[in-house]
Amino acid sequence: MKNDEKKYEDVIKSLKGLQQVKAPENFEADLQRRINSEKYSKKERKIFWENIFRPSRLVPSLGLVTAVIVIFFVVDSNSENMENPFLIEPRIREDVVAVTDYDEFEAKQEELSKQKSLKKDQPVLEKRRDENKLKTSDDKMVTRREKSNESEGMLDHSKVEKDQGITTGAFSASVESTEINVTQSPKPSDAGGAASEIVTGQSITKEELNFRQIQLSEEEQKVVDQLRIQNQSLEETKKSQK
Amino acid sequence: MDIKLRELSDEELILEFQKNNTEDAFNILVQRYKNPLTNFVFRFMGDYETCNDVVQETMIKVYRYKDSYSSVAKFSTWIYTIAGNLARTEYRRQRRQNIFSINDYGEEHQTYDLPDESYRPDVITDSGIQDEIIQKALMKVKETYREAVILRDIQGLSYEEISEILGVNEGTVKSRINRGRAQLQELLKSIYKE
Repeated sequence: MKNDEKKYEDVIKSLKGLQQVKAPENFEADLQRRINSEKYSKKERKIFWENIFRPSRLVPSLGLVTAVIVIFFVVDSNSENMENPFLIEPRIREDVVAVTDYDEFEAKQEELSKQKSLKKDQPVLEKRRDENKLKTSDDKMVTRREKSNESEGMLDHSKVEKDQGITTGAFSASVESTEINVTQSPKPSDAGGAASEIVTGQSITKEELNFRQIQLSEEEQKVVDQLRIQNQSLEETKKSQK
Repeated sequence: MDIKLRELSDEELILEFQKNNTEDAFNILVQRYKNPLTNFVFRFMGDYETCNDVVQETMIKVYRYKDSYSSVAKFSTWIYTIAGNLARTEYRRQRRQNIFSINDYGEEHQTYDLPDESYRPDVITDSGIQDEIIQKALMKVKETYREAVILRDIQGLSYEEISEILGVNEGTVKSRINRGRAQLQELLKSIYKE
């Protein structure tokens, strides 16, 4: 250590010989002023916060806030909440009756249907026929999307019809027969083929169609029996051939 | 001002200021340390105006944070540590500004240091000029070495005190001082040849 100090003797001597730099004469006064100004600035900050929470400033700001809240809720309550129609639960059928004696029920229904369907379902039937005609002519030209759109329309329409049927009590026999045709006829070349294609595309079940069985007349029953016999005989021949 | 207070040591004065908030005790400490601190900070920074601001800021910190002083340490090392930290921060800030001004303004705003070509050894007659040359040489010494050299050779503090102020061990302090001295000797060799 002493060697180092000897080595740098000149440097140490010149550094020690440097004049002492003194603080300015007004150092203490300046310092006092700065300390006081800091204290004052702290007080000012307090006053600033006090000023903010003065009633004269609080009242208008609170009024503004309440106005904003009220406007928000009013606007919010007016806004329509659009419900997704596909998520709405179907209407509950109120006219569902537990049938124990089917013959009596049938007789009553027939009477009712004769009275009401003649009056109310005639325009519906006419509309349906017109639609079927239009669809058969345009069927080949319609794209898939258009088909789907139409089918949606059909579904809606059928829903309306279904609702009507529910409210009135029953469809007429002719309406039922067309609906049965719609579900059962697979041929696109038929008159109601387009409609059937569209409807079957949406996979409507028999339950959804809300149809009911009817009693056939004697002549009709005979024809049906003949057809059955023919069908059975055809099946038997096929089996025997195999 | 109370005569008894003047007789108290630095540590006793700061304790008095801590406990009883005696502003006179603080004022005595200011009187005792304003010149040594000014000398230290000026030699480190080389600018009197900023040095004055730094020393004032040091005193304000002592005033505001008097409770953070613990009686375990010496008051002188505590106050020198505060002053050293503030001086270092300010010096670095100024240096960054100077670099910025060189890049942005070029030669028009001469805010940066250029090598002094006006110095000639044969002109050195006045001690004031010699002081200036030494100060300029000091400013060229690396920051960490300069601080150690000033504390040791100008302020006359012990190695132990310097190690406490700088927060490094004594060995590091000694090596820093020696390196600083070596750099200074190299810078001032023209004077010593005379």
